[in-house]
Amino acid sequence: MADTRSFSPTMRAVLFALISILVLIWLVPLVVAFITSFRTNEDILTNGFLALPETISLQSFADAWSRGNLDIYLPNSFIITIPSLFGTLALSSLAAYALARFKFKGRLAFYFLFVGGTMLPFQILLLPVFRLSDALGIYDTYSAVIAIHIAFQLGFCTFVLRNYMMTVPIQLMESAVLDGASELRIWWSIMIPLTVPAFAAVATLEFTWIFNDYLWALILIRSSGKMPVTTGLAILQGQYVQDWTVIISGALMATIPTLFVFVFLQRYFIAGLTLGSSK
Amino acid sequence: MNKAKLRTTLTPYLFLAVPVIIYMIWVIGPMFYSFYLSLTKWDGFSAPQFIGLANFRRLITDPVFYTSLWNNLEWIAVFMTIPIVMGLFIAMSLNRDIPGSKFFKACFFAPMVLSLVVSGLVWSWLYNPGSGLINTVLRQVGLGDLARGWLSEPEVVMEAVITVAVWRQVGYVMVLYLAGLQSIDRNLIDASHVDGANAVQRFFNVILPQLAPVTVVVIVISIIDSLRAFDLVSVMTRGGPFNSSSVLANYMYIQAFNNYRMGYGAAISVVLFMISAAFIVFYLTRIVREETNG
Amino acid sequence: MSRALRLFTPLLAVFVLLAVFVPNDLAAGGQGEAAAEGEEGSSIVIYNSYMSDPEPREFDAEVVEQFNEQNPDAEIVHSTVAHEDFKQAIRAYLTSSTPPDVMTWFAGNRARFFIDRGLIMDISDLWEEQGWNEDYPKGFQAMSTVDGNQYFLPTNYYWWAIYYNTEVFEEYDIEVPETWDELMDVAEELKSNGVTPFTVGTKYRWTAAAWFDYLNMRVNGPEFHIDLMLGKESYTDERVKTVFNDYWAPLIENDYFIEDPASYAWAEAIPFMNNGEAAMYLMGDFIRDSYPEEDVEKLDFFRFPIIDPDVPVGEDAPTDGYLMAADAQHAELGKELLAYFGSEEVQTKMAEDLGRLVTNNNVPDDVYNENQIKGRRLLDGADYVAQFYDRDTTPEMADAGMDGFMEFWSDPTPEKTDEVLQELEETRQRLFEEDEEE
Repeated sequence: MADTRSFSPTMRAVLFALISILVLIWLVPLVVAFITSFRTNEDILTNGFLALPETISLQSFADAWSRGNLDIYLPNSFIITIPSLFGTLALSSLAAYALARFKFKGRLAFYFLFVGGTMLPFQILLLPVFRLSDALGIYDTYSAVIAIHIAFQLGFCTFVLRNYMMTVPIQLMESAVLDGASELRIWWSIMIPLTVPAFAAVATLEFTWIFNDYLWALILIRSSGKMPVTTGLAILQGQYVQDWTVIISGALMATIPTLFVFVFLQRYFIAGLTLGSSK
Repeated sequence: MNKAKLRTTLTPYLFLAVPVIIYMIWVIGPMFYSFYLSLTKWDGFSAPQFIGLANFRRLITDPVFYTSLWNNLEWIAVFMTIPIVMGLFIAMSLNRDIPGSKFFKACFFAPMVLSLVVSGLVWSWLYNPGSGLINTVLRQVGLGDLARGWLSEPEVVMEAVITVAVWRQVGYVMVLYLAGLQSIDRNLIDASHVDGANAVQRFFNVILPQLAPVTVVVIVISIIDSLRAFDLVSVMTRGGPFNSSSVLANYMYIQAFNNYRMGYGAAISVVLFMISAAFIVFYLTRIVREETNG
Repeated sequence: MSRALRLFTPLLAVFVLLAVFVPNDLAAGGQGEAAAEGEEGSSIVIYNSYMSDPEPREFDAEVVEQFNEQNPDAEIVHSTVAHEDFKQAIRAYLTSSTPPDVMTWFAGNRARFFIDRGLIMDISDLWEEQGWNEDYPKGFQAMSTVDGNQYFLPTNYYWWAIYYNTEVFEEYDIEVPETWDELMDVAEELKSNGVTPFTVGTKYRWTAAAWFDYLNMRVNGPEFHIDLMLGKESYTDERVKTVFNDYWAPLIENDYFIEDPASYAWAEAIPFMNNGEAAMYLMGDFIRDSYPEEDVEKLDFFRFPIIDPDVPVGEDAPTDGYLMAADAQHAELGKELLAYFGSEEVQTKMAEDLGRLVTNNNVPDDVYNENQIKGRRLLDGADYVAQFYDRDTTPEMADAGMDGFMEFWSDPTPEKTDEVLQELEETRQRLFEEDEEE
């Protein structure tokens, strides 16, 4: 698109070959994981890593599902991830809009606040936030985990969204103001549609991050019945360190939702991109 | 002040109100609290005991702290180069109509879909010295001498862990650049064709400057990710052998949660924050300069 | 004021609600418990457990179910957390306003740490009422008692020993060694036949600590070992150096261990042993749970050989059990659950299902299988029973110590040993002197 005509066919063939090799390297761990999940641990231990699988078995998936209690944990992950995702996107787009659109006192200070918070290793916040949640009476509820995910991810989302919003031409908004539109309306019907690609990209990342969180859930939730799928994975890893097939099967199953989100948002993402480039 | 004026002055603050309040309560407040904790001795149960700068004094004599710091810096150095160059290269290549470019994009991004924990698990297995894929292949092709305990030898363990991080990061950088390339002004590229610029000149003079905003984002993200590195180390080595692959976030976590030294852990995270802050200040001054110029 | 503001106010309210409250209503099912908690506090009991591996977990679930059958009105909120992570989560549990009532935990220093901070409920009344003061051996009573009050319920323990592949021993006609010299002969014999004497996976370090525990106890005696654990002896003491230089280092330098032990988690090192590449593993009896089923009959163990016959015999036998949070909100039912865990019935089940040794004297000996009887005999022959390195000393000392062992393992020269021990000594002084100030 940007630059189709610049390379000769030979160059393009070389490029293609190079990229293909890279892709192959990149896929090795994934393929290995995939194959492993269909083998049995004994087969791997006796015949080695490179041997062709003796049998193809779904047993490790079944084991991972039942031992990891994924039927309980998987829905919980959605109950936590979805509100967190929407909450953080909604709030950060408001903040990003303010930071990108207006010149006002303390603008950089606010920006610094958001970027600064993301620089802290979140693990150090575990105990203070646990205390806070306990004091607010939301310890051992989904809300405790959702609240910290929304808050903690605000920094990163605001940072990315603000940078994208900066690229939206100011004239678009100025003319809307002249038409008498309120800022809230401009935010909703001009800025958000124009930044859909950024939203799609951020949402994909945020989904993976929140969905894969374990430490916050471990500290803020006490009851098994509310814990996310990563808890199940931790249980599988526990003393089953040697049973790679079960661990990897569980890990792959826990990855499926993220995969769907990615595939789904990627489509959105491309639609958003064309919309953005027609500006 | 008239009504209209008041409204325009207030609007940005109204937009910021809810996010900032929530952010203050859940992130900034606890953050300052942990700054305070870095000046105390606290086991997480009894009342914190103020001890001044003692934690920091101990920090500067703690060899594990230096190892961890060094490892973080190595991580940053690698992240600022390899994934950025590779990600940009791949994005540039896949941005033209190469057959199967959609598939390729998906492949490079795929590691991002796996969580860090899962990536760490899968790679730990590739690295397994006895039956792992890497050593098995090395031995098969007669390079058995190169086979080693990737995660147990202090000389290579850090590089082995960072490799996994790079494996994930490249796809991420690629996506960001792909998005950036979409917004490049075609007219400038067309103009450079008219001017007879070759591909290399075009890349450095036309494309790269236009990608600058994305590059800034990529750099900031790379730094944040390097400094926050935790999961891979925690899954693959837990900082071992004897702390040679420790990074600050892990060392902090071990001190705070395993050894019940919250104050000391907080001190480590303050240092981590200071390093990050140095980068943010650098980044912010750039912004300020841009804005005063433009 | 303005239209913008009018629009903002509801929006703000919605976001705040979204952030804090909505999800709870969404998950009405999960909230039933909280409601019940508030209304009839006595009919509920919260129990958090680290029994996350398949067999213990099944046992745990069955016991809870049986308790529920006997107390049909009680609702038991039973949660299982991965073993390693439980150790971190318990910090939140014990300090929250709604702690679990009953929790699994480790005896010894690890429990003591919480007890000293007033986080654990005094259950002396339960001990009295259940007659545990008579039914439990003195050692276990002492383990649970601080200042004359009981805070802990020890229920089960296991032993450490050198496990070996009987097939390999038979193949080379090797007899079980009883003394250090005999063990060295065995090692040499195995090595000359191309078998690595010992397998070990030190990725998570504690397997190395087991070697230190045993060598130190055999060479210097359990009393010195425990004093060292408590910070009363120095790591630079000549006696400690002897352990490293004269006993541990030769094992490593003679290649008596498998290559690259630090690459393997403890269980990942098992295959070397059951496929015959290596012959022995210093391990706790839980090795049996992870040993391939078809080979487990070829697995046996012997006592860590005697080095100095004049030194009393110490063994590692980590003890697990239960405790209650000081702020437990359902103390009454919690105690009933605890009483059930300590009962003969559950203890018998534990001995049968999990192969552990149990603490209640009333449990008849015939519940034990051959393996358990042998393990118990091994412990009966001990003059002193220690918990384990990371349970006998403080968490930070254990962390530093295990790192030191790993560093030594990578370079077992006398110079490196001195360096490592010097570092450990500095850590010991800092930690134990600091603690004295408090």
